Amino acid sequence: MRINVIKAYIKKEFLDLFRSKMLVMVYVMPLMIVFLFGYGIKMEVTHSRTIVLDNDNSKTSLEIINAFEHSKYYDTKVLNITDNQALKMMKQNKTDIIIDIPAGFEKRLFKNQKPEIGVFIDGAFPIRATTMQGYVINTLINKASVNIPITKNMIKINQRTLFNQSMKDTWAIVPGIIGLALLIAPAILAALLIVKEKEIGTIFNFYSSPITKTEFLIAKLTPPFLLHSLNVFILLLLALYIFGLPFRGSFWLYFLATEIYIIVSLGIGLLVSVMTSSQVTALVVTILITIIPGFLYSGILMPISSMDKESYIEAHLLPVMYYNHIIYDTFLIGSGFSSSINLLYLGILFIYGIALILLGSLFLKKRLK
Amino acid sequence: MIEVKNVSVKYKNIYGIKNASFKAQDGEIVGLIGADGAGKSSLLHAISGVISFEGEILYNNEPYHSPKEAEKFKKYIGLMPQGLGLVLYDFMSIKEHFDFFRDIRGIKKDIEYENRLLNMAGLEKFQNRLAGNLSGGMRQKLSLILTLLHRPKLLILDEPTTGVDPVSRLELWDIVNEMREQDNITALISTAYMQEAEKMDRVMLFDEGEIIASGKADELIKTAEPYTYSGELKYENCVSFNKRTYSLNKLDLPKAKPDLESLFFVNALQKKKELINIELKKEKENSSNEVVMKAEKLTKVFGNFVADDKIDMELRRGEILGLLGANGAGKTTFIKMLLGLYPIDGGKLTLLDKEIKSYKDRLELKSKIGYVSQRFALYDDMTVRENMNYFASMHKIPLLEANKKIKEYAKLLGFENYMDKFPKELPLGINQRFSIAVAILHDPVVLFLDEPTSGVDTIARSQFWKLVKELKEKMNMAILITTHYMSEAEYCDRVVLLKAGKKISDNTVENLHKKFPDAKNFEEIFIRLIK
Repeated sequence: MRINVIKAYIKKEFLDLFRSKMLVMVYVMPLMIVFLFGYGIKMEVTHSRTIVLDNDNSKTSLEIINAFEHSKYYDTKVLNITDNQALKMMKQNKTDIIIDIPAGFEKRLFKNQKPEIGVFIDGAFPIRATTMQGYVINTLINKASVNIPITKNMIKINQRTLFNQSMKDTWAIVPGIIGLALLIAPAILAALLIVKEKEIGTIFNFYSSPITKTEFLIAKLTPPFLLHSLNVFILLLLALYIFGLPFRGSFWLYFLATEIYIIVSLGIGLLVSVMTSSQVTALVVTILITIIPGFLYSGILMPISSMDKESYIEAHLLPVMYYNHIIYDTFLIGSGFSSSINLLYLGILFIYGIALILLGSLFLKKRLK
Repeated sequence: MIEVKNVSVKYKNIYGIKNASFKAQDGEIVGLIGADGAGKSSLLHAISGVISFEGEILYNNEPYHSPKEAEKFKKYIGLMPQGLGLVLYDFMSIKEHFDFFRDIRGIKKDIEYENRLLNMAGLEKFQNRLAGNLSGGMRQKLSLILTLLHRPKLLILDEPTTGVDPVSRLELWDIVNEMREQDNITALISTAYMQEAEKMDRVMLFDEGEIIASGKADELIKTAEPYTYSGELKYENCVSFNKRTYSLNKLDLPKAKPDLESLFFVNALQKKKELINIELKKEKENSSNEVVMKAEKLTKVFGNFVADDKIDMELRRGEILGLLGANGAGKTTFIKMLLGLYPIDGGKLTLLDKEIKSYKDRLELKSKIGYVSQRFALYDDMTVRENMNYFASMHKIPLLEANKKIKEYAKLLGFENYMDKFPKELPLGINQRFSIAVAILHDPVVLFLDEPTSGVDTIARSQFWKLVKELKEKMNMAILITTHYMSEAEYCDRVVLLKAGKKISDNTVENLHKKFPDAKNFEEIFIRLIK
């Protein structure tokens, strides 16, 4: 391996990246992905139009109303109308939630008679409805019961318990999107850097000179690796200061895991570049094979633990899940290097990355097809 | 010294080159001559060790059988692949290219040698210019000196002169000759230009994946002498082209001096290849030579670049007009203006005494013009018949009439057996004829042919020119043809020469020959005119 050869190639790659302005793509694309997805997938519902029918007019009912009024999730109005009138308003899409506190609620509550609160939710958009339902239950049990001795047992709400939507949505989504962005962008760059030479014909400089495959690979993969290493910090700052995420875990775990993850992505790009010979095909193939698993099997939309058997296995075969586990930990949980799962997953990612690169270099041929 | 023994290169089930064997001594220039797809590139790639092959290649008596085994010889080999400046990076300057090529070859900087190379290529003044901003000829010269940077012993040039203007072409040859004289390098050079054979010590002729002849050019030409007769005549089992007739049987005709092209005809006869005789029916008695198309001071500007500067041109019925010029001289832009594809920035265009101004005029213009583009605008997923039907209906030719015409042309132009094949399955020559049939379906008065013969083999080319001549004589069409083969200018009646967007000559071929009586061929005339 000759360092000068590699250096010359890397220098050329950087010149090309700067002058062809492809560099813009390196930094704009991950940012775009994070911004578009980070703001675009909002499972959180705020300012639901809520009508409270207070038939009790007691201290307890006022507490409950108070809890709804002081939450950003509801725009609460207390109206003096009948149930039917309120339901009619829902049908006319004038309200999303109706909370019906029956007369004698407080009395029966203190007599331990399990009074009921009627909750009606507009189910036009099922996901939104479930989310709102989750909020209402949460508000009733947690917020309203601070000053009143209400427990979950004591209120019987006419609803099934559904999966508990996180109260802070961006927290749940942004780390996953970082995982998505860093799966797509380095892969695309790595694939393009090699395929571009094939398409233009400059690949002959590699074919016809004594450069070895290893030298060529190092020269081709180092620039995307270095350039995307900067994204490790850019995306972190974005998550912390624009999306307001906490950072509870180890920075070094975040750094190490992300760098390894970039290697995994480069490996995917390398494999694509071996199979394709035009930049357009390379781009489309890379996007297809990264964006779908990066999104569906990452745990962003659905927790891996609640997946069906097949998708559970598929998720474990793909690298995204492992990285996302670690990155969620660093942002939200903070068990860091002491968690054995984190270490195991880090190891899996490392092996994954090395295996992909080895596979790619095995298929890379120093000759025309 | 390089020795090639029974080398074959296979692409799936098709042989790119089959059982090629030859030897080249130190300091020898060996030429590989043949059409596109004849196997030249495959053989050169095999020798350079950039493609898998069967057989054996010996470099200084050391054998290699695969790209992997060739690896240790790559420091002695310099390959310049086919394509204008293919190995260059558009965003890097000449200087940076030198740095890059020096470093990837792991050699030390030799300022004296590098300056010598730059001088030879005439690029010393442009060292800071990006490769993307160099002209085609300059790119090619840069590629060549970069290939020479690591002082290869074996120089492999794949069509270095294709698409390069004649002046740069001569300069490229000068560099190769100088390197041969001073450094005693061996050079394998492929070319589609027969005339370049005289610059080579030895030539190999390629046809359909085989070497059909090899040796000294003049000795090879002699072998065709017994079969070459003068004059163009129609006999059984004969083929005639360019004032010569070839026959394996003795003919009662005066003998003629053959040239390298003759060998391809003789080979075709020996292999009993099917050669069609193109003969059109004379339509109406019409021999007027009125001006059908007239361009006056036609100008096209892109930004601040003047692609065509006040060009005048007249096109007459029954005339073949050659539009010549190097890459970037403004040929294609000019044709596109004539076709109504580009709006005209200045000047006047008249077709059949009617000035072309509006969009409607341009539509009208298109219905009177037949156009065959460089890449034949055919649909690959439709058969020949379907393609022809499609174009017929595009030109609103009534179905019955169209069918009759298609049948007739298919017979006359010799592709009736291929009507239900897809264009991709057919040789370039047949596609070319059927593209012309498509272009003349709607009885245009003018036919434009844009570089129709690039890459086509000798025989198909000869048949093409016969067809063009028939179109001129029997249908009295006005034909405008662009080409970068200077030798083909001889088949035109008149040539218009463009250089950097300006017309520098407009004269009949006859007159030009009279003007330069000592010029050996049209290429020389062209170079003198350009200078």
